[in-house]
Amino acid sequence: MARTLLKRILQAIGVMLGVALILFIMLRIVPGNPVETLMGEHANQATVDRMTAELGLDQPILVQFFRYIGDAFRGEFGTSYSLGKPVSQLMAAAFGNTLKLTVAAVLFAWCLGIFCGVFAALRKDGIPDRLFMGFSLLGVSVPVFMVAMLLQYLFGYVLHWLPISGTDSWKGYILPAIALGWNSAGSIARLVRSTLLDVLQEDYIDTARAKGLGQMGVIWRHALRNTMLPVLTMMAMQFSGLLSGAVITETVFSINGIGRLAVQAISGRDIPLLQGTTLFATMVVIFGNLLADCLYSVLDPRIRKEAE
Amino acid sequence: MNRKKKIDQIVRTAGLESQIGEAQTFGTMMRRMVRENKLAVISFGVIILFVLAAVFAPLLTPYTYDEMDLANRLAPPSAAHLLGTDEGGRDVFTRLLYGARVSLLIGIVPTLLSMAIGAALGILAGFAGGKTDTVIMRIADVMLAFPSILLAMVLMYMLGDGLINIFLTLSIVNWASVARVVRAETLRLKELEYVEAARVTGVSRSKILLRHILPNCIPTLIVLFTLNVPSSILTESGLSFLGLGVQPPAASWGLMVNQGRQYLYTAPWLSFAPCVAIMLTVLAFNFLGDGLRDVMDPHLQK
Amino acid sequence: MKKLTAILTALTLLLAFFVPAAFAEEEAGTMVTAVLYEISTMDVAHTTDNYLIPMNVFERLFESRPENGASKIENSLCTDYSVSEDGKTYNFTLKDGVVFSNGSALTASDVKYSFERLLKIADQNTDIPLEVVGGEAVMKGEADSLEGFTVTDDTHFSVTLNNANAGFVAELSAPAMSIVDAETMEQVKNFGVDPADTIGTGPYIVTEWVANDHYTLVYNPKYQGEEPSVKKLVVKVIPDANTQNLMYQNGELDLIDLKSMDTMIVENTYKTQYADKIVSTPDVGLTFIIMNENNQYLKDVNVRKAVGMAIDIDSIIKNIFNGNAKREYCLIPSGVWGHNNEQTSFPYDPDQARKLLQEAGYKDGDITFEFSMDSTTDSNTQLVYQFISQELKKIGINANIKAYDKASYLALRNSGEMDCFIARWGMDYNDPANIMFTFFGNAQNSALRSENYPNTEVMARVAAASAIVDDAEREKEYQALDEKIIVEDAAWVPMYSTLHLYCIGDRVQSFTPQWAGFTDFFATDVVMK
Repeated sequence: MARTLLKRILQAIGVMLGVALILFIMLRIVPGNPVETLMGEHANQATVDRMTAELGLDQPILVQFFRYIGDAFRGEFGTSYSLGKPVSQLMAAAFGNTLKLTVAAVLFAWCLGIFCGVFAALRKDGIPDRLFMGFSLLGVSVPVFMVAMLLQYLFGYVLHWLPISGTDSWKGYILPAIALGWNSAGSIARLVRSTLLDVLQEDYIDTARAKGLGQMGVIWRHALRNTMLPVLTMMAMQFSGLLSGAVITETVFSINGIGRLAVQAISGRDIPLLQGTTLFATMVVIFGNLLADCLYSVLDPRIRKEAE
Repeated sequence: MNRKKKIDQIVRTAGLESQIGEAQTFGTMMRRMVRENKLAVISFGVIILFVLAAVFAPLLTPYTYDEMDLANRLAPPSAAHLLGTDEGGRDVFTRLLYGARVSLLIGIVPTLLSMAIGAALGILAGFAGGKTDTVIMRIADVMLAFPSILLAMVLMYMLGDGLINIFLTLSIVNWASVARVVRAETLRLKELEYVEAARVTGVSRSKILLRHILPNCIPTLIVLFTLNVPSSILTESGLSFLGLGVQPPAASWGLMVNQGRQYLYTAPWLSFAPCVAIMLTVLAFNFLGDGLRDVMDPHLQK
Repeated sequence: MKKLTAILTALTLLLAFFVPAAFAEEEAGTMVTAVLYEISTMDVAHTTDNYLIPMNVFERLFESRPENGASKIENSLCTDYSVSEDGKTYNFTLKDGVVFSNGSALTASDVKYSFERLLKIADQNTDIPLEVVGGEAVMKGEADSLEGFTVTDDTHFSVTLNNANAGFVAELSAPAMSIVDAETMEQVKNFGVDPADTIGTGPYIVTEWVANDHYTLVYNPKYQGEEPSVKKLVVKVIPDANTQNLMYQNGELDLIDLKSMDTMIVENTYKTQYADKIVSTPDVGLTFIIMNENNQYLKDVNVRKAVGMAIDIDSIIKNIFNGNAKREYCLIPSGVWGHNNEQTSFPYDPDQARKLLQEAGYKDGDITFEFSMDSTTDSNTQLVYQFISQELKKIGINANIKAYDKASYLALRNSGEMDCFIARWGMDYNDPANIMFTFFGNAQNSALRSENYPNTEVMARVAAASAIVDDAEREKEYQALDEKIIVEDAAWVPMYSTLHLYCIGDRVQSFTPQWAGFTDFFATDVVMK
């Protein structure tokens, strides 16, 4: 067990280094001296040279790479060209918002997904089943920003229930979380439904029924517990997708998160910021997957046994 | 991310496929799908319809996609303009038809490209094993670790805009997942008795690859294709939303949704028409993919 | 099953109960507004836009104030000034008892420090201090102190210019000429970045700047002037005009700038539902087309004139701007001193344009150039781009629109190699030099805007024009230059100036925009209910 875990951790570190390398190469291929862009209209050659040296851009590419890896380990990502602040400081402020948004989205997706999935499974082939499953398909096929905008319109503009943008209070997270979690909720609902349909046919459910537990008791106590594991796995797998969605959601709702920073970095041709945010987001995904793996092996007795 | 789940399902069930033997031909599978899965057939029809509309766009409309008519901005749907006009007075229906060209191309070309790359590398990794396998799969791991839209953004930033660059970007974003699935499939096929037998009798490696491995990967690839096309279309719409996709006055559905979104409350047809087109296409490809998987996947047959 | 339904109902009720309380009332005197772009600095030495904080946190020697559709210069930190006979030396008297928000007193040496600082940093806004004798030397690092700036005592100082400039006092009212405190600047490390370090004498203090989210200004009790009605100003960074639109309609904004809003939304929503809340002021400035004279086709004056004649600018004004714009024919836009009402540049005449091209020896489709666009530009201007491209196509010119991200766009333009683009200039101060010198003052200025105007003689005249002391003579020279550059040489196609619309919220009593129609405004000009 410990060995499998160690192997996974080493693997994850390897992937992290690979990500850093690929990102570094991609951003260095971009033509043009970033310093000139940074200095704007009144740059003279002396200043450009001085800045180039200050940023270490005159060093050999390999030296630059190792310096950047070293800096990244210490949490240093340079200074943003467009926002004039250290990237680490900008990301520290933004990460909290992204984290809150993603957690809220996961919670929403989990609650709605399980609820709809159970409902649909209990009424298999009935109207609620078809309705929920059709709805979940619809969610998957509409672009995220469209969902986000419709939510803004309905709950912010027409009903005046929730703020249209900003995160001044927790209420500001409700609509973004729904927009972001929508997609996952659909997948979870379908997964819960199919898993539950399988589980409900197992013998022990019959046993439980025979012991006199009510329908709801059976579902909650046995069936649902058994659907947790696949749902958990899927959530871990969807983490990367959630961060992708967060880029769009944060832009629509003007949330100062990692995704919006990345979008800003693109329009400002801000390499340190783009490098920092992309690297960081990818690290989070890798870490999330690793964590899910560990959780999985701890939670699932079969895997634990196999590993031993 | 629904796609990932489906791919996993394919991988999971791929292991069972050997049980049915190789008797099933592509023709019989298709016939069974037509018989059993009406939704998949309808979906296929919808896709063909869109393709025809895209190809014959100039014959279906008297307007051009970029001709402005400033006196007629944001006109509501009417007989002259079936879906109204956009903010530049351009006919939305016409743009939808021409947009189908771009969007379907964006769905299909990068998917084919990424499948060619992914399949080649996946088969190579699975067949060669050893160091080759490790190197290819570790690179795939790295690519899969990036959140897809961020990777696409960085690539578009690096390459600049333009249709060709969108194709390249989406291919690079998608190849790794294809490689993973194809590798698993190759590993399975490699262990089959008759492949083993061919190897023992001295048939060359390239012949085994071409005769036995590649043809047997094709069903998997077809299913992957139908699942990756909609995801490419959706990714492009996301890029367009961020201003990194197709540039106006060219038309793609993603761009049209994005351009129309500021008029969502005053001229909803601008966004809704392309949005419905995206939805229908994505759904059609998904249903078709499901249908194809059902007939190619013995586990779900019964 | 009943239990499940019950839980669901309970949840719904809970949600319905809590959620409508989403909008907490802002405290009295607090104003909330939104901007599209995050600022990169609060320091005018590093920016030529993002003036909201400089305008409200700092003061200048003079301020330009709106007056009957034009502007007048008012004393601000200055109480009095006199000009020598040759028009080169100015003697100023500072207001007594002005202190910075950290308690440090304002003296004449602070003003000198502010001038020198712009030159030593040598990034943005160096034009005005460069006019002072010795400015060039300070900027090059050859001198530490500005030779032409003499501090007599704490409240008196004089400034000597290289050339007489009748517009100098107007220039001193530009946000760029914000006055900082010499003593404070020696102590703080992050001026312009850290709110606590960004100290001015203005009516407000910056208390926080959360990057990408919002910044907050609160009333500065040490401010020399009257206490403003707005005690606290929250500026939210909302990069999407559509979201701003919804926020305003949802009552979340006390002021919305409609400049970047799509004109159809302004027409269909604001002019119908919020007509009585709209405040408008002319954007004193110009939107025009720049054509690079290094381009193999655009170097031909006939091609440039044909471009000017091919575009139905009145249609742009009528249909894209719904009439909220004014046709401009001159380099010096209306509302600016020296503007010539009589001049007409290019009449809309595509047939004549086509003939000009034929005479110059071009066939249909011969002429192709890139028509560059900043991808972050507002949707109205994007439409103008597309319309112009289409108009040019009709006379056989391929102007291919290419969008760049903002930074690349600026880099290409500054390199002098951009073929053709739509430019906009908003006046910083009310003097023709502000626009004419910036674009035609010398070869560097002209290259920096990708014009590469070749006539050095005209540029020398532009540079010398500001030194003409006699107002009537000066006006005549500017108008002659305008005619030469625009009508004769067709260096630009002047198109229009827009009417800048803002919309105030229910809590706002009145709002006076900045005189030139800046997006940035003085919060002291807002009166809350």
